[in-house]
Amino acid sequence: MKKRILVTGGTSGIGLALAWRLTPTADLLLTGRRAAADIRDLLPEGAAYAAADQAHPEAATVTIAEALAELGWDALDLAVLNAGLGRVGDPAAEAPEALRETLDANLLGPILLSRMLLPRLEASRGKLVLIGSTAHRGAPGFASYAASKAGLNGFARALAEEWRGRVEVRVIHPGPTATGMHQRAGHDPGRAGRFFASPETMAALVEEAIAARRAATTIPFVRFLLRRKPGPGARVGR
Amino acid sequence: MKRALVTGGAGGLGAALVADLAARGYAVVSVDRAESGTGECVSRIVCDLAERSEVDRALPMIADAGPFDVVVLNAGVSATGRFENVPAEAYRRLMTVNAETPILMAARLVNAGAVRHLCFVSSLSHFTGYPGAAVYAASKDAVAIYARSVRKPFARRRVSVTLACPGPLRTDHAARHAPAGADEGRRMAPEAAARQILDATLAGRRLVVPGENARLFALAGRLAPAAVTRQMRRLIFERLEKEVW
Repeated sequence: MKKRILVTGGTSGIGLALAWRLTPTADLLLTGRRAAADIRDLLPEGAAYAAADQAHPEAATVTIAEALAELGWDALDLAVLNAGLGRVGDPAAEAPEALRETLDANLLGPILLSRMLLPRLEASRGKLVLIGSTAHRGAPGFASYAASKAGLNGFARALAEEWRGRVEVRVIHPGPTATGMHQRAGHDPGRAGRFFASPETMAALVEEAIAARRAATTIPFVRFLLRRKPGPGARVGR
Repeated sequence: MKRALVTGGAGGLGAALVADLAARGYAVVSVDRAESGTGECVSRIVCDLAERSEVDRALPMIADAGPFDVVVLNAGVSATGRFENVPAEAYRRLMTVNAETPILMAARLVNAGAVRHLCFVSSLSHFTGYPGAAVYAASKDAVAIYARSVRKPFARRRVSVTLACPGPLRTDHAARHAPAGADEGRRMAPEAAARQILDATLAGRRLVVPGENARLFALAGRLAPAAVTRQMRRLIFERLEKEVW
């Protein structure tokens, strides 16, 4: 039987690239904030989709639980909680709404989802994977984003011990990736942007990290500089 | 008279911070959900820091009560037990009090130029992991890394940022959340922790971990994070008999 996999934030960036990697061997449920009609063409054929905006954690959790019920998935082999957002700027000038959205989407969202998913993951001795960021150690230009990802790291660290023997908990911290998040966040990475991993490369490294046995994996610049393998759509022989 | 602001000043470490600041000659403003508390502060702002609407209402009042020489963002709650057995609403409130509100308040006060020395109270769990309080640990890691992240940008605005990571204290809060059979006598007195936290904050130090034992534990956590978190599972998670939030 094919594995059943949930990927949040599956309509762009690393989540979408990961969905394309997983689709040959798995049944997928993808989530994102956009309406189903707008993203259908982007997603792998056969993948189920639920519009669940992670910036509203309680509502998103209900929507995803309903989508799982509709699919009849009482057991889940893998959940990749990847949805995230962030903003760049002077931390003192950050608007309260922006800060609240970042913490909700990146931290409370995955916390409430993990809580809801436990029985389903436990039913198949599945794996919970939380996508953090190398910024989780602190970043002056992305203070609230760094805070949210640090929170996710601390959550994973504790939960991995609590759920030991029941559900494997992983946290993976990707380095800078050309996902469009930087542009959306109002940040021009400048020349450094040339060294960002493509979402396809990062998704490949994330997939390897999911398969590995480490509880926490960091994927920094050097890892993907050494591995510039072209993803789908990339020019070969560059 | 110099002014100071303490959140969660009605009890525990907060009350000790208020008393210490008052003894140092500060006019102290305390923000807490409870009306009661020590008599040493000049004014109290009553606000449930777990409720966004109340925080939004209180923020202008808090900013108007400044400028402050010292601000200690201390208010916090915990939720202990098995992660999945605590209701989602409790996690929402916890995250708001422990992470969202202090970050909002710091940004607001720094942007208004209303603070000189800023201190975020996180937890020793930042260094050790905390199975049995996964969401509390998450909120405290969030605030710890926020404090580290803003140290430089806030320094450019002449605001010092101190991260305080106290271990278990002899407070009602700790007693409520401690595992069965925990020895209260081994916890640090809140007055001693408050003194060390304020000394560090006024000196603009980056980090303060009050108490020798806590510092040793933090060091162990830095050297062997996985082993220490596993030890925390045995010391705490496996001994928790019920959920408390």
